[in-house]
Amino acid sequence: MHARMLKMSFIKDAQKIFQQNIREYGMYIAMFVIMAIFTITTKGVFISSRNIGNLINQTGYIAVLAVGMTLVIVIRHIDLQVGFLAGFLGAVAAIALVSWHLPVYASIPLVLSFGVLAGLLTAFLVAQMKIPAFVATLAGMLGYRGALQLVTMGTGTIVIPDAAFNAIGNGFIPDIPDIGILPGVHKLTLILGVLAILLFIINAINDRRKTQAYNFEVLSMDLFIIKLVFVSALVGGITWVLAGYRGLSWTAAVVLIVVLVYDFIMSQTVLGRHIYAVGGNPEAAELSGISVKKITYVVFGSMGMLSALSGILFASRLQSATTTAGTLFELDAIAAAFVGGVSVAGGVGKVVGSIIGALVMMSLTSGMNLMGIDISYQYIVRAGVLAAAVIFDVATHNRGK
Amino acid sequence: MPEDTPVVEMRNIKKSFAAVRALRGVDLVLHHNEVLGLVGDNAAGKSTLMKVLSGAYIPDEGEIFIEGKKAHIINPWDARRLGIEMVYQDLALANNLDVAANVFLGREAVSAQLGSISVMDKRHMEQETQLLLDRLKIDISSVRLKVESLSGGQRQAVAIARATAFNTKVTIMDEPTAALSVAAIGKVLDLVRELKAHGCSIIVISHRLEDIYQVSDRMMVLRHGRKVCDCPVVGDINEFRERVVAYIIGARDDFAEGAID
Repeated sequence: MHARMLKMSFIKDAQKIFQQNIREYGMYIAMFVIMAIFTITTKGVFISSRNIGNLINQTGYIAVLAVGMTLVIVIRHIDLQVGFLAGFLGAVAAIALVSWHLPVYASIPLVLSFGVLAGLLTAFLVAQMKIPAFVATLAGMLGYRGALQLVTMGTGTIVIPDAAFNAIGNGFIPDIPDIGILPGVHKLTLILGVLAILLFIINAINDRRKTQAYNFEVLSMDLFIIKLVFVSALVGGITWVLAGYRGLSWTAAVVLIVVLVYDFIMSQTVLGRHIYAVGGNPEAAELSGISVKKITYVVFGSMGMLSALSGILFASRLQSATTTAGTLFELDAIAAAFVGGVSVAGGVGKVVGSIIGALVMMSLTSGMNLMGIDISYQYIVRAGVLAAAVIFDVATHNRGK
Repeated sequence: MPEDTPVVEMRNIKKSFAAVRALRGVDLVLHHNEVLGLVGDNAAGKSTLMKVLSGAYIPDEGEIFIEGKKAHIINPWDARRLGIEMVYQDLALANNLDVAANVFLGREAVSAQLGSISVMDKRHMEQETQLLLDRLKIDISSVRLKVESLSGGQRQAVAIARATAFNTKVTIMDEPTAALSVAAIGKVLDLVRELKAHGCSIIVISHRLEDIYQVSDRMMVLRHGRKVCDCPVVGDINEFRERVVAYIIGARDDFAEGAID
């Protein structure tokens, strides 16, 4: 009898938590379902270390754009120029390395700062001139496409001979010397994975204890343990799969750092709080002493920097700058953000969600490629997933009101 | 500071919008721990006068004294620094954020500074918010609830709590009971009384004379940008209503030129 009642309260708790976070959890479940289906239909090829490693590297340049796009959509704007801006800045990176003979460590900061400038220019048009972001960035999209073709006109594709630069998109973090155990497994990746899990658990327990000390509600013990086990298993699983091929790629490391930094800013800092406030109610934010203009500059500036980073990742991956680099990146990034739970109405959305969204979209491409599904059907399936995500968002949002 | 120095004194405030003379030299006094009801027909100048006090409008003429000191208020931040807070009619809350985040919006508690990045002290803000809600007897189950999930009355309560949270000297409420259910109106009025019991000085603008009657110590009637009545709230409700309506429609005027007091 007693056990039965405990079980009932556990299910009730779980239901409550699930309903409160339905948008967030729905996305994780969707990702698992998609991965499971592809693993079965491709007889395990999809989940193989090699395929997952490639998948993550392909997602990288879209993922960093999706992070920036999350912030842009949260403050109720849109940025259509990020694709060709990334393509153009990738070409600038190539020119800096090849024609200006700048070293890698100088080219990358230079290109990133160009990105920030481009973002600030957009912010000037949007915040100062009051031009709708849709129009301002549509102009930017055309302009940067022209600029990309202009700088690659003389030579066509610019081949990048720099090994260090190309490693960003193709290389993997070094391994510690072989000591005889676990041959064929990337040991540094395993160690990093275990460290990440330990850090997560220690952090979660600390946070729970502190919150309890303040007499605030926390997850029930069962659910807390389930959450710890689930996240640890997820991180552990990904680590194990990656370690089975060549370990953590530099691209994945870059994306991880970007996500950690942005997630921290958005969830723990005053700046992040103000970005959400501007998205939720710009008038209220302004009346509370938050400068909507300043936030617009910061968000578009960061979007420009991440566009530059995306361009660098892509150019490095192709080991060259091409005339069509960046085509449709912006739409993939926007789709990733929406699939990842960013609200169409603004004000709501998490950086981590957008990364999951990017992974879902890239998994669809990868899985359907492995199954040999024609590209035309692939577009239609991805359209369906995007539409479903937005319908889900609007439906849960309306029900909340 | 002597007890009888008013918290707010506005002298001869004039404000015109093109040809429209919205305020034609209005005086206003608000004493410590007093609730002042501000009444008048549409376009009588109530909101304009309060927007002058809260820094949204700059007056053409006139002076403002806060606790006896001359104040220069040219934007809402000046007003806020002087301890003047306005609760807006259209509820200046961010619906996507929780109760604690809204109460501390724009003045977040900081636990660490990493260069130009300020890390928030979320637990401190949540705890302070809980204390604030308890003190004002506001019934909301958790400070972590998003504002969009609250009822209209609860939202108004959060907006008012937020305005009074930070050493506020004067709280201005613009139609705090508009668009609320009868039960919610009762709670908001209770909240005004609770604030007075805690020593706040409050100005309430309302169309509902019952509200003014129930919570105000004194009331001021504006008509066509002029003050026509400034008197204590006394007597029974019917007599009060009759008297106020007479001022609102212009049948009575205590400050008419040549009027004998």
